[in-house]
Amino acid sequence: MSRVGLLLRKDALILRRSPLLLGLLLAYPLLIALLVGLVAGYANAKPRVALVDEDGLPRFVTIGGHRFNVDRTIKRVSKDVTLVRLRPDEAQRQLRSGKVVAVLTVPEGFVATLKGMVESPKLEVQTARGIISSRVDEQVQALVYGLNRQLQTAYIGTDLGYVDLILHGGNGSFLGNNFTVLGLDGAERLLKREPGPRARELQDFVGDARLALAQTGNALRATAHPIEIDREKSRGRTWALSADVQAYALGLTISFLALVLAAGSLAAERDENVVGRLARGLVTLGQLVWAKVLLAALVALALGLGVALVFGAIIQIGNVIGGEPWARVPLLALGLLLAGGALGALGALLGAIAREARTASLVALLVVLPIVFLGLVPQEIVPVAGWVSDALPFVHGVRFFSAALYDASPWRTLWREALWLVGLGAVFGVLARFEARRLLT
Amino acid sequence: MNGRPPLLAARAVAKHFGSQSALAPTDFELADGEAVALVGPNGAGKSTLLALLAGALEPSSGSVERRAGARIGWAPQRPAQYARLSPRENLELFARLDGGARPEQVGELLAEFELPDADALAGDLSVGNRQRLNLAIALLGDPGALLLDEPTAALDPEQRRRFWERLDAQRETGVALLFVTQHGDEVERHADRVVALREGAIAFAGPVAEYAMA
Repeated sequence: MSRVGLLLRKDALILRRSPLLLGLLLAYPLLIALLVGLVAGYANAKPRVALVDEDGLPRFVTIGGHRFNVDRTIKRVSKDVTLVRLRPDEAQRQLRSGKVVAVLTVPEGFVATLKGMVESPKLEVQTARGIISSRVDEQVQALVYGLNRQLQTAYIGTDLGYVDLILHGGNGSFLGNNFTVLGLDGAERLLKREPGPRARELQDFVGDARLALAQTGNALRATAHPIEIDREKSRGRTWALSADVQAYALGLTISFLALVLAAGSLAAERDENVVGRLARGLVTLGQLVWAKVLLAALVALALGLGVALVFGAIIQIGNVIGGEPWARVPLLALGLLLAGGALGALGALLGAIAREARTASLVALLVVLPIVFLGLVPQEIVPVAGWVSDALPFVHGVRFFSAALYDASPWRTLWREALWLVGLGAVFGVLARFEARRLLT
Repeated sequence: MNGRPPLLAARAVAKHFGSQSALAPTDFELADGEAVALVGPNGAGKSTLLALLAGALEPSSGSVERRAGARIGWAPQRPAQYARLSPRENLELFARLDGGARPEQVGELLAEFELPDADALAGDLSVGNRQRLNLAIALLGDPGALLLDEPTAALDPEQRRRFWERLDAQRETGVALLFVTQHGDEVERHADRVVALREGAIAFAGPVAEYAMA
């Protein structure tokens, strides 16, 4: 066995004899992944919005001939927020304390203005200041949009009633005035009884008008909603099983493991006082660093495959479509080795700088979270975060895993990210070898 | 001297850590079979000189020469061994890394130094046993010279006595000895000559008798 192999076997043996450390190394990243998931889930939770009714909304409102159940309508359009009816002072108090993120006030005279159908009534919105205020704005806008759609539907229905009256005739009412309309049908019947070219001309006009008015319904709907969204529920993966989540879970887990393991185990050589003994021609410092890189890569491979197998089994058992849980495992294994190695080289560099196992482990833990979170920041939003993240292995590992598991044509991405990982691993490895001289003192 | 080149020699070897000088340019030779005591106050540069001679540190200037084919064993003051490996596993690992040890030597050293051969880990051993394991590792590959840095510092009188018995046995086989000590009696009983360091430079080098008079 080569000298690097001997060191690697020694490290594996020591790791096996430290079940508490191994357990923590496995459990900690999974716990962090779970917490990140919970936070992400919270971010998707409905914000609580106060509804202040200063108009005394009745149970039912009739607008344009349509009768609305107010509570049911509000419930239907407020899918993205939790609306709670509050008194004005209580709403303001809760807005200040952050219990509600916005106050939506229905001002006095709202329903009367709405019923008049002459001008648009206004809803008043107050939002809390803070990082989520823009999201609250969006959700309140969505709520008002939903209400408008309900009303538009009612208005269109009413308008179409009048069109129907013009077409077929009958009794109607407008702003409380009742009337009777002959209708185009009746006009046509009367004109058929009248001889002469003038009557035929009028008959032709009535026919054209009927054809034109027959399209009124579609035209009104198209004017109200120039673009419609056709929603179709797909049978794709749930959020928890999505490609991104799996790729990030793998990246997060092996980042913790590889960094902490490589940093801690390299610095531990100095703690054990064996670096001098090894450096006496038994092992070069380069071989020592290489052994730690390999250790990180192999542990990342083992743990990453374990995580992938669990995901794959859930997907298989749940008969979830999308992705290639089994066929792409060899590609994933390659990515885990490369990412684990690159992260291990970075960890070895941290270990060489820290020189003491406990300090090295702490530094690795402190470093890993910013690395992971930088990788989560969209490059389009914060370009600097993207550039910094590009200089670290985490994001390249995540892209590799995602492409390896789910892309229909992954090769271009895989080559690019593999080159990144090899390049970063080489740079960090050389720096670690250079810094490892500090372990001798 | 027998006309052969020295087993180990330092030629104007010096070491500094950053801007701090640990050892001024120093010359030193170790011949076959001799025992040299390296003495001096803390911080005088004894451990640095020993580590330089052992090849565990690279000199900042000067050179260390080792006779061709000569094997040098080194036992630093703080045992250099893996706490989570057993004594056997430690010996086997270093023997395989070294490549020069006889296959049966691990068993021989375990028996000779009365080290536990069961599941006990090196980190769980007594101070005396850890020091014995430290010396046993230094003896892998049957070195012609042993460089020992305060090997008995943490031992009680009985452990020291038994430790020196083992070292004397090694000396009888022709092994040269360079040892750092703070114990005057060890210098008198076990050394042929003395090198005293002070503030990173040799303050005295000569026979034990002259050192005692100085």
